Amino acid sequence: MIGIETIVFFMFAALSVFAALRVITARNPVHAALFLVLAFFSMAGIWMLLEAEFLAITLVLVYVGAVMVLFLFVVMMLDINLEELKEGFWRWFPVGAVLAAFMIFEMVWVLGSRQTAETGAHLAKHAADYSNTKELGRLIYTDYVYPFELAAVILLVAIVAAIALTLRAGRAKKKQDPSKQVLVKSKDRVRLISMPASKKVSAQPDAAKADQVKS
Amino acid sequence: MSNMQNLYLLVPLAPLVGAIAAGLFGKVLGRTWTHRITISLVAVSFLASLAIFQDVLAGHQYNGTVYKWMTSGDTSFEVGFLIDRLSVMMMLVVTFVSLMVHIYTIGYMQEDPGYQRFFSYISLFTFSMLMLVMANNFMQLFFGWEAVGLVSYLLIGFWYTRPTAIYANLKAFLVNRVGDFGFLLGIGLVLMVFGTLDYASVFANVHRYVNDMAPIPGVSWNLITAICILLFIGAMGKSAQFPLHVWLPDSMEGPTPISALIHAATMVTAGIFMVARMSPLFELSETALSFVMVIGAITALFMGFLGIIQNDIKRVVAYSTLSQLGYMTVALGASAYSVAVFHLMTHAFFKALLFLAAGSVIIAMHHDQDIRNMGGLRKYMPITWITSLIGSLALIGTPGLSGFYSKENIIEAVRLSHLPGSGFAYFAVVAGVFVTAFYSFRMYFLVFHGEERFGKEVHHPSTSSGQAHAPAAHAPVAHVVAHTDAHHPSTGSGQAIAHDDGHSPDAVHEEHHGLAPGQKPHETPWVVWLPLVLLAIPSVCIGFITIEPMLFGDYFKDAIYISHAHHALAEMREEFHGAFAMIFDDLTELPFWLALAGVASSWFFYMKRPDIPAAIKQRFEGVYTLLDNKYYFDRFNDWFFAGGARGASRFLWKFGDVNLIDGVMVNGTARLVGRLSGVLRNMQSGYIYHYAFSMIIGVFVLLTIRTWFE
Amino acid sequence: MSFLSTLFPAYAEIFLLAMVSVILIADLFTSGRTKTVTYLLVQLTLLGCSLITVATHQNGVTHLFHNMFVDDLMSDVLKLLSYLAVSMMLVYSRSYLLARGLFSGEFLALVLFALMGIMVMISASHFLTLYLGLELLSLSLYAVVALQRDSATATEAAMKYFILGALASGLLLYGMSMLYGATGTLDVNAVSAAIQHGVANKALLVFGLVFIVSGLAFKLGAVPFHMWVPDVYHGAPTAMTMLIGTAPKLAAFAFVMRILVEGMQPLMIHWSGMLAILAVLSMAVGNISAIAQTNIKRMFAYSTIAHMGFLLVGVLSGGIEGYGSAMFYAVIYVLMSLGGFGMIMLLSREGFEADTLNDFKGLNQRSPWLAFMMLLLMFSMAGVPPTVGFYAKFSVLNAAVAAGHIPLVIMAVLFSLIGAFYYLRIVKLMYFDAPESHERIYMQPDSTLLISINGLVVLALGILPGTLMSVCAVSVQQSLLLH
Repeated sequence: MIGIETIVFFMFAALSVFAALRVITARNPVHAALFLVLAFFSMAGIWMLLEAEFLAITLVLVYVGAVMVLFLFVVMMLDINLEELKEGFWRWFPVGAVLAAFMIFEMVWVLGSRQTAETGAHLAKHAADYSNTKELGRLIYTDYVYPFELAAVILLVAIVAAIALTLRAGRAKKKQDPSKQVLVKSKDRVRLISMPASKKVSAQPDAAKADQVKS
Repeated sequence: MSNMQNLYLLVPLAPLVGAIAAGLFGKVLGRTWTHRITISLVAVSFLASLAIFQDVLAGHQYNGTVYKWMTSGDTSFEVGFLIDRLSVMMMLVVTFVSLMVHIYTIGYMQEDPGYQRFFSYISLFTFSMLMLVMANNFMQLFFGWEAVGLVSYLLIGFWYTRPTAIYANLKAFLVNRVGDFGFLLGIGLVLMVFGTLDYASVFANVHRYVNDMAPIPGVSWNLITAICILLFIGAMGKSAQFPLHVWLPDSMEGPTPISALIHAATMVTAGIFMVARMSPLFELSETALSFVMVIGAITALFMGFLGIIQNDIKRVVAYSTLSQLGYMTVALGASAYSVAVFHLMTHAFFKALLFLAAGSVIIAMHHDQDIRNMGGLRKYMPITWITSLIGSLALIGTPGLSGFYSKENIIEAVRLSHLPGSGFAYFAVVAGVFVTAFYSFRMYFLVFHGEERFGKEVHHPSTSSGQAHAPAAHAPVAHVVAHTDAHHPSTGSGQAIAHDDGHSPDAVHEEHHGLAPGQKPHETPWVVWLPLVLLAIPSVCIGFITIEPMLFGDYFKDAIYISHAHHALAEMREEFHGAFAMIFDDLTELPFWLALAGVASSWFFYMKRPDIPAAIKQRFEGVYTLLDNKYYFDRFNDWFFAGGARGASRFLWKFGDVNLIDGVMVNGTARLVGRLSGVLRNMQSGYIYHYAFSMIIGVFVLLTIRTWFE
Repeated sequence: MSFLSTLFPAYAEIFLLAMVSVILIADLFTSGRTKTVTYLLVQLTLLGCSLITVATHQNGVTHLFHNMFVDDLMSDVLKLLSYLAVSMMLVYSRSYLLARGLFSGEFLALVLFALMGIMVMISASHFLTLYLGLELLSLSLYAVVALQRDSATATEAAMKYFILGALASGLLLYGMSMLYGATGTLDVNAVSAAIQHGVANKALLVFGLVFIVSGLAFKLGAVPFHMWVPDVYHGAPTAMTMLIGTAPKLAAFAFVMRILVEGMQPLMIHWSGMLAILAVLSMAVGNISAIAQTNIKRMFAYSTIAHMGFLLVGVLSGGIEGYGSAMFYAVIYVLMSLGGFGMIMLLSREGFEADTLNDFKGLNQRSPWLAFMMLLLMFSMAGVPPTVGFYAKFSVLNAAVAAGHIPLVIMAVLFSLIGAFYYLRIVKLMYFDAPESHERIYMQPDSTLLISINGLVVLALGILPGTLMSVCAVSVQQSLLLH
């Protein structure tokens, strides 16, 4: 028996799979980013069906509202040529596709069998006035306080790591050296060079070179 | 862990710490601190042994595991101690003699560049020997067994720049391998049959297997006999019993202190100790006991003969050691284990004394070891002289001295034994008394009495290299050395220093032989003679004091088992009326008169009429050559074993190794692996998506296997 | 009992977190290029953690934070060893990093964060905490590898590590969600109970298991999830490689124990088969590939892969013997790789990396003592008695024989024989070849002392392995059989 919920679920599911596929096949990077937004939206819809309203809204607010916007900025500023990056994608696509097909077949075989569908744990349904947000808040500060704290530590690590990797000591404070200023000549002041806007991706990463050279 | 257990641990560990300190940090510590540290640690070990001895006398025994080394299947390998009266006695002997030798070494090795190394080795030896005697299982016994063998190997070749020393230590190593092979097979058989390596559980179950056959395909030997004989083959190697005795005389290439410690007092008696420890096994097999007795008797008599014609002072003592080890073995065969162990103890004292005294003489003679170049040393070195006399008297069994009690009882025990071969053994040990007295006093008279032959211009070629133990074909270098030595007097007359020509600087020590003309020997420093005096005391009185509790009391009642069928010791106990009475009884017995005859004839031959031995030598040329070549054992071994092994090895090398193994297997495999390795390296492309793809394939394969092959 | 005192099994973690915060702030106020104050604070923190862990030890198994945290003997032992490994790693790498300008306060803080991740993983009894611990550890490691920003290889290594690590995390999470779907819980013990009582859906469980095993295999570096190992080991600065290659392996072992053994013991017939495939592939690929390497860090990477294969043999053999020997193997492996990487750093100097095989040529002539220590370490890695590596291999094989995995044992022995080649090649280079440079080795006193202890312990444990072995066996027994 197919209820309205099932129909909505399959709609969102199909949409998210389609959007995810387009993220990796789209030629324009801005399009790819926008398809990612679509994928987030459809996932948020599925979470709604699972009665995780708070998480669904957070997903939209945080990922779509903040992360993806930042992401779009970066993509637009860098002007990446996706075609070049995806060189060889279609050449190897058949191999990957065959493997993917096999994987999907096996997953369907296992998960789609009648036995799997019938057993397994079930979530209890709640009444409409049940506050998911409140319950989440209660759990985070009681049962899940330990993971919650750990998550905070992970964020701290992220901050420390980001600073350690980007901050260049000395760049912030620039000093003037009058003697150098006096000695400078006109041809030292400006250097004109021409360079392409995007760099060609090197054919082989360095570690691989190291490996090849030895053979 | 109780206090006593800590004390047990202290006994072997203290010398080990000393060995490590001297071995690793010897250069940092310097000579003085090296000997201070090692000597005090050995002294600690000796004092701890004394304390344990007190405790054991009070009736406490210990048998337990200290450390579980590993477990394989149901068998566990442990380090454990069995402290009973037998082991505590051995501990005392080992630590005491070792302490004496440590002190003595200060004087003997004074000029040697390997001073610290030497101290490290002898401390390590002490540790190994203590592990051996304190073992409560076969595994640890084997560990100690091999460890003392290793240190002995290192010490015989201590002066590793000498070809003869290298030849000698290789020989000792190889001959001991033969013995160890049997020993290991014996232990393997024990493990296979009993399923455990623990002494106590083996001895507790041994009666169940009395009539079993050995699980060796093709033969029907009694199980216990097979085990005993295999174990005894190990003892034959370590305790230098005929025909595995050939390594001991050559081991005299090592510095004299270790000849005293290892090749006289302790290591060579490990075999005797082991058989005594295994008495519950040996008692069940008359065949094995008979075998033991005959081997011991052959060694006791025939090795004694060889002592008569030796001219190297250390070699005379070495052959005497072989002969005395034979005596102990005979006692084991006669089920008189306590007598054997008793003789082991007295022998440890007086033989260590004789060796150290010989070393003292060697120092005084500036490392000339040929007794034909000595004589009349009595008045120059009074302490060495008097202690040597005591040692020799104890060795020949002078009534009242320690050797007397032990040797007399061995003879008595053999007389009362009824095993096959006991008749021959009795003859051998009785005749041996005369031989022992003869060669001991031959050496004594030649060294300390008579004409002063040192400092003459014409030396006898030094025996340490001149009387080459290495047959010509296999050690040409040794002969070159002998050759140069023999001609030295003509080239370097008047200058002792000239003797060093042609030797590498490392080998200078002990390579310059003899006193220069006109030079007189003088008494050695106190670090050398003090151990002599301290060893002379037990050589005199230890037998008198301990005979009653050890042989006829119940000192060994728990440690040694004697079956009721073997009643020699019980009969002797009835005849025993005290140590004093034994002296007087003996005055009417054959051995006493034989010993006296031996002394008298040696005096007559070598003091009164020195021309007679030469005449005998001429008349019985054949016998002399036979003895001079040590019954041709070395020749035979060289031709048959060494030559045969070389031939077989050459064949295996040419055909098996070069063609089959190297060509097909090793290089073939290496080529295959190398090719595979290249292929795998190409898979490591460096592309991140290759890596990710490989992971996905991994998941896929696992998933497929789970889904389809369940 | 006050709330705080109920937390005492987790005091070490709490103390560590507090100290990291203190160090992060203190570092701002201490000047100087050598960072001595921060460094000493870190070492003190490690010492404090050890004391706390010892002091808060109690017998039996204690659960905390609603069954998300577990304190038992195994966790205490592994934590203590992790402190030791991290502390040794800092001693070895200090002068190396100072010479390269990488010894910063951030580095030290990240190392402590990584240690915290390790501790969380070791003490986790909930899939959520296991995962969070793993992420905490991984994130810190990614950042640490990338710290050398001006090195192209280090950046590339960090990138590969990060992307592949994310993929592995995805696989792991997917597997965990399947498990949650099948059992309705993430609590390790509850999962185990649900599987035991047959409540859970078998097909779904096994399906999830495949993904979990894949995620674990990535962390261990087992074939075919191993590709990151050589590139990251090679590309990262040696000190970072040492950090990745040592203490996290203890965490990975604990991870395997908590998930597979405690959580899914009833599914053992399923996962032991998978582990067997991974183990054989790892030993084969690891040992064979290592032969072709000329860079010693890369060689160690492949050797790690092979060692992890051996460790898996111990785990899949099961029983106290199997798990105990696997734990022993993990501990010994950490000890040996600390020494191995420590030696590379000791021979390196400013602007020079001693990371090719040629740099070890004739080491015996330049420094006999270091050469001897390296010989001990190499013998141990190859499994030559009487070093401890032999005993570690022996006990694993013993357990495998007892469990009846004879073909596996035969293959393990064959591949370790192949493996012995490249370890012994280093010994040959050190003792029989002429050195390429005669430059004096500047031996830092602290690292030299440590490497001497390290080498001698490898030897001493080989002669007397009993105590450590029984500690391993007892910890495994206590944490598994009491619930």
